[in-house]
Amino acid sequence: MNRRAAAFILGLALALLAGGALWWWLQGLGSRGTENRPPAGTGKAVPVPFDLWIPDGIGLRVERRELQVTSAPKDRIRRIAEALLAPRPDGIRLFPEGVALAGVQLSKEGTAYLNLVWDGHEDPPASGSTEELQRVYSLVNSIVTNVPEARRVALLWNGLQRPTFAGHLDTSRPLAPLDALRTR
Amino acid sequence: MEAPAPAPPAVQHQPTVLFDGSVLPAPVTITPAGPLFGLAALANNLGGTLEPDENGESFTLTIEGKDVVIAIGSAIITVGDNIVSLSQPPIRGEGTLLVPLDFLQKTYGDLAGFAFDWRPGVQQLVISRRAAREVPVLLDVVHLQGMTTVVLQFPEAPRYQILRQPGEVDVQMMGDRLAPPPSPPPVADPLVQSVTIAPDQVRIQLAPEAQASSYVLENPFRIVFDVHLPSQEPVPVAPGPAPSERTPGVRTIVLDPGHGGTETGAIGPSGIQEKELTLTIARELEARLESQLGVRVVLTRNEDANLPLDARTAIANQNKADLFISLHLNSSLGAGAHGAETYFLSAEASDAAAARMAETENTAQPAVPEGTAGLETQDLELILWDLAQTHHLLESQRFAAMIQGELNQTLQLRDRGVKQAPFRVLNGAAMPAVLVEVGFISNPDEEKQLQDAAYRAELVASLTRAVSSYKALVENRPEPPQASQPVPPAQPGTAPPAAPQPKSPGRP
Repeated sequence: MNRRAAAFILGLALALLAGGALWWWLQGLGSRGTENRPPAGTGKAVPVPFDLWIPDGIGLRVERRELQVTSAPKDRIRRIAEALLAPRPDGIRLFPEGVALAGVQLSKEGTAYLNLVWDGHEDPPASGSTEELQRVYSLVNSIVTNVPEARRVALLWNGLQRPTFAGHLDTSRPLAPLDALRTR
Repeated sequence: MEAPAPAPPAVQHQPTVLFDGSVLPAPVTITPAGPLFGLAALANNLGGTLEPDENGESFTLTIEGKDVVIAIGSAIITVGDNIVSLSQPPIRGEGTLLVPLDFLQKTYGDLAGFAFDWRPGVQQLVISRRAAREVPVLLDVVHLQGMTTVVLQFPEAPRYQILRQPGEVDVQMMGDRLAPPPSPPPVADPLVQSVTIAPDQVRIQLAPEAQASSYVLENPFRIVFDVHLPSQEPVPVAPGPAPSERTPGVRTIVLDPGHGGTETGAIGPSGIQEKELTLTIARELEARLESQLGVRVVLTRNEDANLPLDARTAIANQNKADLFISLHLNSSLGAGAHGAETYFLSAEASDAAAARMAETENTAQPAVPEGTAGLETQDLELILWDLAQTHHLLESQRFAAMIQGELNQTLQLRDRGVKQAPFRVLNGAAMPAVLVEVGFISNPDEEKQLQDAAYRAELVASLTRAVSSYKALVENRPEPPQASQPVPPAQPGTAPPAAPQPKSPGRP
């Protein structure tokens, strides 16, 4: 084998190794935060309009959005929360980039539990009270007003219930919607 | 040299489940994270019903009237409205739902009194009925404003049920035994004739026609009975001296600079942190209130240090403050937010304890979280702090309206009114309590203004005028405030119409 052929084989092996490592890393990235996620609803997903509560000024405005959901309440809760956590066209994010929904539970008493995770961050983002109200009640109001089976929402951070997210709101218990935050 | 004796062959044990000496036909799967047990067979033998949901992704196990919701693949379950974390998630296997050992301990163990002993050497789960625990109980009886509150405090939640008969209420233990206090307080009360603590029950003998409603508080676990005559609405009672024992007035004010230490609060565009400015404003307000109104002012923190929210109101309660003001700077996700806002506690938050009543009566209780045992020595005056702010909502609203009115005038804002939210720092305050957002640090213009001493002096003067107005109102009022009257029901988060304000006594 001449030197050129050996260099080609070595290069090919390195490329395969790098590609495999990249694939493995991307697989891991995709599964982060989903360990506790139960399988999606078995019903067929169809487009359904929802009224989502979106941060606006010092409150929340209601915006109608169509989401692909099944008939399972937990699937609807998950899709609504994921839609709210996604970046918006105006650049405003409900939570900083990296905050993800790791799991959803719905008790028979009508409490929806959302487990939010943020890799590398022990605490939720620091903020003033209006920002905390917007973050928490965007999720609470959107879920309770669109999913009849959910009457209250409890937010978990990295799997734990916290006395407060940012030093104001009492998040140690399930929250009912706060309609007074509606701006228009 | 003698060859070493060959090791005896390892005994392969078939995993089994034993209950009352009999083998149960429950499948057992051994995983690296520990054994998993077939739940359906266990439910058949230990009691309870197990039902899948409509799409088969979760199950509900009902034990002793409590629902346990299990999602396949999730290590978090709900027991009633409590969240419980498991060592590993329940999975499907061997044609059934398989659950880990701690699932059984936290459900059948806590709710139904079973003990689960996994013996790895012989691969055997031994289930037995747990021996009765001896649970110490403390008793307190308080009579205020025509209502008597009876509090039974436990270091951990007992298994119990409440039985009612005409003229008496019994708290019956279900498997646990009570250890009465060494010297129970004597009961001399117009609405409660006696409270008798026996190993198997607490009996509350009511006065003729008296009625009792009950609810549960946690940390430490307490069963609370409000005893009243039929014509009177049951009203939660806060600790502290009865209003009749205190001369109306504003003598002590607790100022709470928001956040501190590692909790920075909001951060402005230039990097200024909320915790720094709230402390600066609190110190400036302290000096002004002391010099102009002659009141005693206590700061919850006077340095850059972490301070839990509950500790802040505890400081106010311990100092028997007449007013509690939590100072904050705001931030918003939207652009252009500006101005000041004043909050008092939402009625929905203050009703939370009472709302638990319906769910907890006549059902066995799950164990309280670890770490709460040993709190039985906590001062009994603290018992009712969970409900403390309920007692003062009307006055909090009145005071909040005065603050917001002054800030609107100073900052030239259109009236936004006062707001209500379930803010934790207000929850335990046993006095009128408000949270004031004096400006938006996220707004570059306001961030700059808030760093200007002259601008802050205007804010501080506004707050001082509001305190002065409220002080004059309280001290000139012919009758003590009807502190026991809760704020009328309102839409969540919206404040009822502001209470009438007195004529300003003049700007200090």
